Amino acid sequence: MNAIEIHDLRKSFTGFSLNDVSFSVPQGTVMGFVGENGAGKSTTIKCILNLLKKEYGEILLFGKDIVEHELAIKNDIGVVFDDLHVPETLNATQLDKFMKKVFKTWDSNYYFERLAQFKIPQRKKVKEFSRGMRMKLSIALALSHHPKLLILDEPTSGLDPIIRDEILDLFLTFMQDETHSILFSSHITSDLEKIADYITFIHNGEILFSEDKDVLHYEYGIFKGNKEEISAIPEHAIIRKRNGAFGIEALVLKNEVNEVFSLEKPSIEDIMLFYVKGSV
Amino acid sequence: MTGLILKDLMTIKRQIKTQAFVLTFFLITSIFMQQSLILFTIIIFIVTFQTITALTYDEQSSWDKYANTLPISKGDIVLSKYILSILLMLFGLILALPIVFFIHRFNNWASAEFFLTFNLLVTLALCMLALLLPIYIKFGSIKGRMVLIAICFIPGFFSGLISKQLPDIHLVLINIKQYIFLAPFGGLFILWLSSLISTAIYKHKEF
Repeated sequence: MNAIEIHDLRKSFTGFSLNDVSFSVPQGTVMGFVGENGAGKSTTIKCILNLLKKEYGEILLFGKDIVEHELAIKNDIGVVFDDLHVPETLNATQLDKFMKKVFKTWDSNYYFERLAQFKIPQRKKVKEFSRGMRMKLSIALALSHHPKLLILDEPTSGLDPIIRDEILDLFLTFMQDETHSILFSSHITSDLEKIADYITFIHNGEILFSEDKDVLHYEYGIFKGNKEEISAIPEHAIIRKRNGAFGIEALVLKNEVNEVFSLEKPSIEDIMLFYVKGSV
Repeated sequence: MTGLILKDLMTIKRQIKTQAFVLTFFLITSIFMQQSLILFTIIIFIVTFQTITALTYDEQSSWDKYANTLPISKGDIVLSKYILSILLMLFGLILALPIVFFIHRFNNWASAEFFLTFNLLVTLALCMLALLLPIYIKFGSIKGRMVLIAICFIPGFFSGLISKQLPDIHLVLINIKQYIFLAPFGGLFILWLSSLISTAIYKHKEF
């Protein structure tokens, strides 16, 4: 079963549109959703959450249509944006009182344990929090009704590596339950290297690929050489190429290239850069 | 729904505390001047319009973007603001009425006159909320203010132009005086219609 399934999603604004976006997040996995700023990550996530109205296509969460079963679905998801969107005069204890009324499954003990773990003051107003504290509180709020699916829109952007690491550990703990899933949008590809099972790459409102992370690492390779050397690589093996500092670099299908060529293992960032800056 | 009202009350708690100083000042002034009407008007309007403060806090924090990820219907999000405003008005009345009666122990203001004023003020507050809430929900607090000025200014301008053709307002008031006890119910009906409009507006919004 898929936690999220998107088929042919379309949504347009002046100067930007999502074009037939399709991908799925299998249950029990972490999907890294990557793309440069303005590529359409947040728009896609807002459509998934029905914060934006889709123009065409189908969005299913746990096999149910998000528009038809919105409230039932939202009982089982936790959402973290790139900031904490609650009135700044509130504090963490007051948010617990509110959430208790919203979720039948709200677990105050778990929530206060997370606050203690993250050293979040219970009575301090949100407006006095640092950015790291705001994000940690946002994550504690998203986890404390024990959701089955986390939808994370740039939750680690602007945070230092120590806090990012703490947050990623918490997500890994969440994934210890095999029925749990995460859609993790980020342009910090190193976070996704640590946590993601699959990578979906969006560029200019179109999905360029949605693939198992290991497949990306082991089926793709980076070739570095000069013009003569690259001409020896079969055309169909070259996915993208670009001019590098010392000649030509190409993202290639490893199995289609003769073993005499030495290839480097690509990172997600390398693959992203080839797709965005390279040419066919 | 109760969660949303609770959240708004917690959000504006500090604001209400701040307003308590203003109310204390007017309370002292009214006791000395034996003028309860000003105090009554100020309490009703300051307390009731804290709903707008709650809406402004929501807007500043992009609360609606977050609230719509929770299992709360859009109808409940809108309706909670209307219920909050009625609750605040009741709170204002509970606060104001004993003070007003206390002041009038020392003068002989006719109770019929007070009843008329009370009805008119409550109705006016309900009608103002009925106008303000859809505007603020549609346009937000900054644009909303502009729209509100336009809405108040344009009819005012045109009624000024045709004022001679309009019936004398005093005569109208005297004629409807006997029905004035119905006015707050009319106000509540208008507020209910306003909530339907606001819900329709909110359901079309994107976040």
